This record gives sequence, structure tokens and C-alpha cells, in this order.
Amino acid sequence: MTVALETRSLTKQFGGLTAVSAVDLVIQENAIFSVIGPNGAGKTTFYNCITGFYEPDAGEALFYGKSLVGLTPDQVTYRGISRTYQNIRLFANMSAIENILVGEHARLRASWLEAIIRTPRVIKEEKDALEKARQLLNFVGLNSLGDQLARNLPYGAQRRLEIARALASQPRLLLLDEPTAGMNPHETTDMMHFIRRLRDELSITILLIEHDMRVVMGISEQIAVLDYGAKIAEGTPAEIQRNPRVIEAYLGSGAASGLNDAAKQPA
Amino acid sequence: MPNVKPPARRVTTYKIVQGIIGVVLAGYLIWRLFVVFIANPSYGPDTWARFAIAGLILGSVYALVAIGYTLVYGILRMINFAHGDIMMIGAFGGYFVFEALKSIPTPTLADPELTFLNAHPALSVIAAFIVGVSIAALSGYFLEKIAYRPLRGAPRLVPLISAIGASIFLENAAQLLFGAQRRDYANPIVLTRGEGWGIPIGGSNVILTYTGMLTVVISTLIMIALYLLVMHTRLGRSMRAVSENKQVAALMGIDVDGVISRTFIISGALAGAAGVMWGIHLGLVYHFVGFIPGIKAFTAAVLGGIGNIPGAMIGGLFLGLVESLGPAGLGINFQLKDVIAFGILVLVLIFRPTGIIGEVLTEEKV
Amino acid sequence: MKKQLRHAVNAGGIFGIITIFLFLIGFTGTAADLFSDLFRNKNAAPFLSLNPQMLNMLIFLGLIGLWAGAYGSRKSKSQTNDPWGTALIGGLTAGLVHGLLVSCLALLVGTLSLRGVRINVYLSEVLPDAIKLFLVGKSPLQGATVHIVFLTLTGFLGGLLSRGVGRGSWRVRSGAAWNSILEKISQQSIVKQVRGSRNTRYVVYGILLLLVFLLPLRAGPYWNYTIGTVGIYVLLGLGLNIVVGLAGLLDLGYVAFFAIGAYTMALLTAPQPHHLMWSFWIALPIGVLLAALTGLLLGAPVLRMRGDYLAIVTLGFGEIIRILSKSDALTPFTGGPSGVKAIGFPTLFGKPFNSGVDFVYLIFLAVLLIIFVTNRLQNSRVGRAWEAMREDETVSRAMGINTLTQKLLAFAIGAAFAGLGGALFASRNVFTGPEDHNLMVSINVVAVVIVGGMGNIPGVIAGALMLKGLPEVLRQLEDYRVMVFGALLIVMMLWRPAGMIPSARRKMDVIDTGVTETPQEESKP
Repeated sequence: MTVALETRSLTKQFGGLTAVSAVDLVIQENAIFSVIGPNGAGKTTFYNCITGFYEPDAGEALFYGKSLVGLTPDQVTYRGISRTYQNIRLFANMSAIENILVGEHARLRASWLEAIIRTPRVIKEEKDALEKARQLLNFVGLNSLGDQLARNLPYGAQRRLEIARALASQPRLLLLDEPTAGMNPHETTDMMHFIRRLRDELSITILLIEHDMRVVMGISEQIAVLDYGAKIAEGTPAEIQRNPRVIEAYLGSGAASGLNDAAKQPA
Repeated sequence: MPNVKPPARRVTTYKIVQGIIGVVLAGYLIWRLFVVFIANPSYGPDTWARFAIAGLILGSVYALVAIGYTLVYGILRMINFAHGDIMMIGAFGGYFVFEALKSIPTPTLADPELTFLNAHPALSVIAAFIVGVSIAALSGYFLEKIAYRPLRGAPRLVPLISAIGASIFLENAAQLLFGAQRRDYANPIVLTRGEGWGIPIGGSNVILTYTGMLTVVISTLIMIALYLLVMHTRLGRSMRAVSENKQVAALMGIDVDGVISRTFIISGALAGAAGVMWGIHLGLVYHFVGFIPGIKAFTAAVLGGIGNIPGAMIGGLFLGLVESLGPAGLGINFQLKDVIAFGILVLVLIFRPTGIIGEVLTEEKV
Repeated sequence: MKKQLRHAVNAGGIFGIITIFLFLIGFTGTAADLFSDLFRNKNAAPFLSLNPQMLNMLIFLGLIGLWAGAYGSRKSKSQTNDPWGTALIGGLTAGLVHGLLVSCLALLVGTLSLRGVRINVYLSEVLPDAIKLFLVGKSPLQGATVHIVFLTLTGFLGGLLSRGVGRGSWRVRSGAAWNSILEKISQQSIVKQVRGSRNTRYVVYGILLLLVFLLPLRAGPYWNYTIGTVGIYVLLGLGLNIVVGLAGLLDLGYVAFFAIGAYTMALLTAPQPHHLMWSFWIALPIGVLLAALTGLLLGAPVLRMRGDYLAIVTLGFGEIIRILSKSDALTPFTGGPSGVKAIGFPTLFGKPFNSGVDFVYLIFLAVLLIIFVTNRLQNSRVGRAWEAMREDETVSRAMGINTLTQKLLAFAIGAAFAGLGGALFASRNVFTGPEDHNLMVSINVVAVVIVGGMGNIPGVIAGALMLKGLPEVLRQLEDYRVMVFGALLIVMMLWRPAGMIPSARRKMDVIDTGVTETPQEESKP
């Protein structure tokens, strides 16, 4: 199997604080891979290092064998990596469809001159882009909400819009950052199905930061656990649930011994 | 763990452009300095001394105004565009005090023409300061209350435009009220501009003016007092807390609105004092007098790292010196001295936006 | 009750200070003159020994008094009942305080003037005639009494009126009123039809264009000049609109590019100082290109900065260019403080095309071109990228948008438009100098964009009309124009930060059924 994303000793420091500490990860193509850990463990920083928002201080990150380090965020998107954000960051005053169209920016090619002159190529490109945006809108289930301002959409719809926007750049790897935050169990189940659909229908690799253990254990094939910036465990859901270091990280030292029952969550 | 070498730094086109600009400028500077000092020296040490002294005096005034900018920026993350005009208000306040005292006759046998101003110069100066500082502080308070407070949550652009509007309004209101003519500060006789102690340097007499010395001394005292205030009093701690994080400070029980008001009052007072000193030392007062010094003071604040009070002081002194020594030092026309100041502003913001000393404020995180 | 009183006293105090200020800047006299033009009663017979000018002034003061009373009688939000009593007492108190302050001023000023003190040495508008007017021709004591009685009465009346008319925050209500006006207009069947159908829209545009083309032929040279100036500011506003409204970069030095366009046109076509006398039509595109180039050069180092820093740096650039163009050192190149004279004019098929009317047409054409270009850009990939950058720059980078390139593009295109405006301006005025290119021009253009409505074309046109056209209409207020401008900026930010005509959103998802677009207002986050 091909390796989609690989990090080797990826490290990021802020002054005296090491946010990401020598993290090694290997993520297979088309996998659903979760990164979990207590708050402040460095998961979002890890994302930022991969997507070009931070420059790692040491280590390497390879996307299909090619290095990501030193790339700017727009270059990372061109390579085929997209992400969503912990606090939803849509373009609030643009409509849903416009948000998705912006997401397509990387795959469109009209220059400013062509935009002014409106060559036939540009007209066609815009038409196709609009069509594709509508399709994505339907794919995430927001069929008639295209012209709504993003900030007027309900919370769940905003999350899905963010994913639609991320998909607009035709990524091969999608980084989701707490996609079910703030959702009720019903919506969470929907999201779980949705993520599986994403992987199955679009053949993309999915990297997931999540706090909801039901989601993590339910859909991940492989899980890595970060704590204080370092990877402390990696394995299948079953393995992670039983791992004492993981339990300690979440619940404090000494918890591992008394929590054999609690660790057995419904899958 | 395999030994990986650190990743290569991004060499963006941006950094290349910066590099080119840097090299070109450095080259120009070196060439000019060479021309002025080695190829064609035309100024003696006495002239340099005069420039340096003038620069120091100017710099201490800039420093005071710069601190005002930095205080407000630290607390509200906005540039108080109208700050220079608060200085103008203070200058006018002092002017009117002098004018009033000038017309109170206190004749003595020895001098039947004596006025209160000249009979009690120390009192007069103190009165001028009190009035100028108070009016300016009040103006700062009302400025914040009317033009900035209602816009607290708005995007950055909005309070900035409001500040620009306030600046324009204040300048033109002053023009309508007082007329456009430039007015002369009526200093008491003992403080006549241009008079002072002579120091022989390099063959001629370099004068340390009384007004200049007064300016430097008062500025220094105020700056020390302010530093003590910010570092060692409860108000100062509250101010620092609010600049770090407004919401948390509120949660800690700090009256954020009150702290902000008081910051504006203090900032206004500083500008007012600077205005009075500007009037006493440089003599000219008119509605537009605060505009360019305001921008220069902002440059100084940025130079020292915005949010950083000692930095603003050092930035002010530095800017004053450079502005004074610059045209002579580079052998260019004195008309262009403002270009030097603006040029420094642009260069600092391009090359080192955190300032020479380093910025105290935190950046946005993703 | 006590809180009510305190509020009323505050109100009276505030209005008192305002009225005193208005007197000190000489506005009471100007208002009287304005009213006499309005009511055409300049030569009417005196009434109660008050000549018409005094009457007009009293009317003006009376209006302020009414307002003071109305404001002072406002109930606080927490009170549920609103008895007439409190409103009236509030109005009365406010009026009383107002009147007290104003009458003290009248007394003071009048007495000093009688003693021979020349107040206008310090307060240049407080001339003896103005004082006499203010005292309605009476002695200081009598005049002061008139004021206190009159203003107390009007305050009381104001309280009465406001209680009768209705309550609510003025800001909210006026904002709602404006919105409902906009709604009503857009709900009109005509507007619906125009918006809905493309053909009707073209017809309407065609008719408007025709009107606009015919207008200069009827208007006199003064109005043509004014229309031309408004047109140039529309041009500049549209250019800055791309920079500020679409890309979100606050440029306070826009005048620099205007200057480049103007000076290029000037230096290439005028006999002095370079003895080149190139054709207008050659100098024009060169000016535009040079301005764009300068935009790239200026922009490259500067566009990474934070918003307010960018503002100050661009302001610095603008000033640097002005000072340099004024300096003696560069006079051989730029013409120095006295500027450049005898700038070339356009020719059409060999004949001079430089009359006032001709220039208005030229400027119209330029405006149309720019509107066309802006529209195309706005609705393209580039325009969306700019808007995304304005919304959330960090995330827009993750969309694949190279923010630096896009910002440079916006900056350069904006600069090009300014260059066009500058070139036309210089040619029309036949002369240009450093004082044509000062900071106020930049600020005026910023105001046009922001007051008019950020990011949309009709807003910019409205802004230019308001800021440049209106003062020409109200020429008597010339002296107060700039001060009012400053106050207007503040008021606009407090009241409608999104501009007078907020941007409408295009519907892209729904099949075109002729449904009206509703204007969406950008609210503060």
C-alpha cells in the first residue's frame, strides 16, 4: 500500500515550549487515521506544521514521498492537502456557494486579464466551477442553502460547508479538526457516516483530530495518541483502548489500574 | 531516532526583495556619509554639537508623545490618529495661560511695565502646564468616550477611520476657533527662546537654551514618573493586564472601561505636556502643529516596539537625533528632514516591524 | 427620577457646549444667512424689533433647543412607564441648563465686547458684528435673558414633541428608517423588473447613460467642472475600492499614485521643464502604466504588514512623494513648488477636445471603463480571492490563494486607476503642483469608499456625489466643510460602518426567476 503522509521526528518549538516533539507517523493511502490526545497535546500544531502555517524546527513531513517542509499554505493546497478548523473558519459574509468557489481557487486558472476580457475559456471555467460547487453542496447535504450567507447557516450546516469547501480543491488528503465538536449524538452519527462516505466515494485519505471517543473508535482504522507533543501510542482502536499509557494521559497517573471496565467503550 | 537535519528556511521572493532594498539603502547611506564626513567636511564640531542638542530636546518631546501612542495601542490595539491633535490642544492651553498672565499688570517701582508673567515666571510656567495638561487629558477622555468606545468591537478599519475623522475635526475646529495664523508663545523673559548657557565647543559658543534644558528635565521627570506608575502601581498593573487580555482582566474584576478611560487621560496628559513644551521651546502654535509631530512620534513608538514604554522613550530620542543630524549628515537639503522621518518609519515597518527593542504584544494564532 | 434629572442636566450641558462652540466658530451667523436664503426673508420687515437675520438665528438656536429638550427628556431603557410629567420636566431641565450656559456666554462675550476687548484676536470668528447678532441687538444682560428664556421654552417644547412623537434609540430608529427606505425602493415593481430581467436592465442603463451624456450640454461651465471633479473622485473611489473594499487593505497614501499619473501627464506634455510636448493620448497610458508599476514597487515591501501599520506606511509614502515633488532639490525634474503649467490636452481627430464639456465626456468614459473592469474582476476567481482575503486572510491562504500576489495585484490595479484619474485631472486643470497631491486627497477618497459603501459600485458613486457634489451645492458652508467632513467620518463609523448603500449579494444558486435580491447589511462581528 502506498503511504500518503509520513512524518519523521517532526518537531515544533515555541520559545521554551516544545509543542510537537519528534512525532513519527505513517498514514496509508485511503485510511481513516485519527490523532487524539488531551487538550494542548499539540494536535492542531501538528496540523499547522503539515499545512505550512508553521515551519517545523526539525524533522520531515512527506506527502507521497515529497517534502512539505518549507512550503507555504497555498503551495500545500496545490499539492493536494486540505483541512478544516477547530473553530469553524468560513468566510462569514460570503454565501455558501461562494465559499466553495473560493475553495476551488487552486484548481481554476483564470488570470486577472482573462477575467476582464472574459475569454470563452474563462466563461466555461466559471460555469464548470459553479456546477461543481453545486454538486459539492448537494454532496454534503446543503442543497438549497447555496445563497445563504455562511454566518446565517446553522452550526451543523456550517461544519459540513467547511468540509465541502475543503473538498473543492480536490485534495488527496483531508485533515479534519474536531468535526463533531458541539454536535449532539444524532448529528455525530451522521458525521461519522459522512466521513466514511468521503473516504469510500472520493478515495481520499482522512486524518482526523477528535475528542469524541465514540467517533474515534467507531471509524478509525489506526489511531495515534499525542501527549505533551510526543506520540505515546499508536495502533488499532482496540489496542489503544487497552493501552495504560493512554489511559494515564487522559485520566491521570494511577488511573490505568482502576479503569479496565471504563476503557471498554462500545465500538 | 534518526538524526535529521533542520529543514531549509524559506527563501521567498519577498526576502530577496527585502535584501535588495537593504543593500541599496545601505550603499546610499555609506556613500552619503563618506561624502559628508570624509570627502567634503563642512561642519565643525560646534555645529554637530548644536544639531545633537537640538535633536535631544526634540527627541524628548517626541518620546513623551510616543509613550502616549504606545499606551493606547497596547491597550486597544489601535492607532490614535488624533493623538497629535491632543498635543496641539495642550499647546493652545498653555498659550492662552501665558497670554492671560501677560495682560495682568503687576507694576513695581523698578519696572512699571511688569506683568504677572514676568514677575512670577515659575508660577506662570507651572500654571501653563497645569492648564495645558488638564485640557489635553480631558480631551483625551472625551475623545475616547465619543469616538472610540462605541466602536470597541468593530473591525480594525472602523475605529481607525473614526480616529482620522476626529483628527480632521479637531484640527479644523481649532482653525475655525483660533484662526489659521501661527501664534507666538509669549514666554516669560527669563525663558526667552534662544537664550541659555554658553559652552565653548570647537571654537565657538554652543548655547544650551533654558527652554531646551527645561524641556529635557521635565520630560525626563515625567517619563520616570510614568514608568513608576506603570510598573509599580495598581493602575499600572491593571493597564498591563488589560493590554494582555481584555476579557481575562475583566474576569479578574478589573474595570476595563475605567482603565481604558484612565489610559486615555494619561496619554492625553503626556501629549499636553509635550504640547506646552513644544510651545515654550519652539514657539509656534497653530491648528496644524500636532499633525507631523504626531506621525513622527508614532514612528518613534514603532521604532521602540509598539506596546513597549521604555522602547518608546528610546525611539523618541533616537528619532529626534536622527532628524536633527540626518540632513547634515547625509548632506541633503533640510527641507527633506521629514522625508527622513517618514523614510525611517517605512523602513522599520518593512524590515523590523517588531521594533528595535522588540514588541511586547502577542500575535494571532491559527 | 433623580437619574432622569441627571440625564437631562447632562443633555443640557452637552447641547450648551455645542451651541457655545457653534457660536465661537461663527456658525450661528452662517446658519442665519443660510436660513435667510432658504426662507427668502432677507428684506423682510423687523419683527419685535428683531431684524430678519436675528430672527433666522433664533430659529436656528430654537431648533437646537428643541433637540436639546427632546434628548433630555428621553427615558432610560429600563423604565417601563413613560409619564408625560417626566418627559416635560426632562425637557425643561435640559432647556434650562442649555439656556443657562448659552446666556452666560452671551453675557460674558457681550460685556467684554462693550469694554472694548477685541476678542477676535484670540477667537477669530467672534467679531463685534457677530456678538451684536448673538445678543439680538440688545444689551448683554437683555440678550442673555432672551437666550435663557427662549432656550428653556424650546427645551420644554422639545420634550413635549418627543414624548408625543415616539421613543427609541435614534441610532436604531434612523438606521431602521434608512433600511426601510432602501427596502421600499427595492420593492417597487419597477426596480424589481429592472433587477430581474437582463434586458430591462440594459434598457434602463441605456436611458440613464443617455441622460448623463446630455446633461453636460445643458449645465454651465461651473457645474461641468464640478461634475468632472465628482467623476474623477468616482474613478479614484473605484480604484481604492478595489484595494480597500475588495482586498481589505487600508491605503492612506492613494494620492501618491494619483500624483504619478498627474505628473507623468504633466511632465510629458508640457513645454517646461523637459521640453517634451508629447501627445495627450500617448502620455495617458504611460501615466497609467507608471502608476501601476509604482503600485507594484510600493506594494511589494509593504503588503505583509498588519492593517493599521499598512495604513501609516502608505500615508508615509504619500507624504514622501509630496515632499519630494515640492522640494527644491528635485525642481529640475518635477517643476518644484510652482508645479507644471500648460499641460497638454486631448485631441479628437486632430481637433482639440478640451472644453469643459469634452472633459466631462472623457471622464464619463473613463468611469464607465473602470466600472466595467471592476465588475468583471469582482465576479471572477480573482475577485473571490480578494474577498476571501478580506474575510479571513489566514484561511484564504489555505484555499490556495497566494495572498501576496493577489494583494499586489489589487494594489497595482488600484494604482493604475488612480493614475488614470490623475492624468485626466492634470490635463483638465492645465496645471498641477505639489499642493494638488496632499494627504487630504487620500483621505477624501477613503471617505468616498467608506462613507459610500465598501466594496460596491453604486456606493462609491453615492459617496463621491455626497462628498464632492454636496459641498458645491452648499457653498456657503465652505469654511466649515473640512471640519464637518471630519465629524462626518466619525458619525458614519458610529452609525453605518458598512456605508450608506451596503453590498447586495448576487444569487448564484437559484435559477433566474426574476426574484428580487434583498440587500444584506454587513453587521459588526
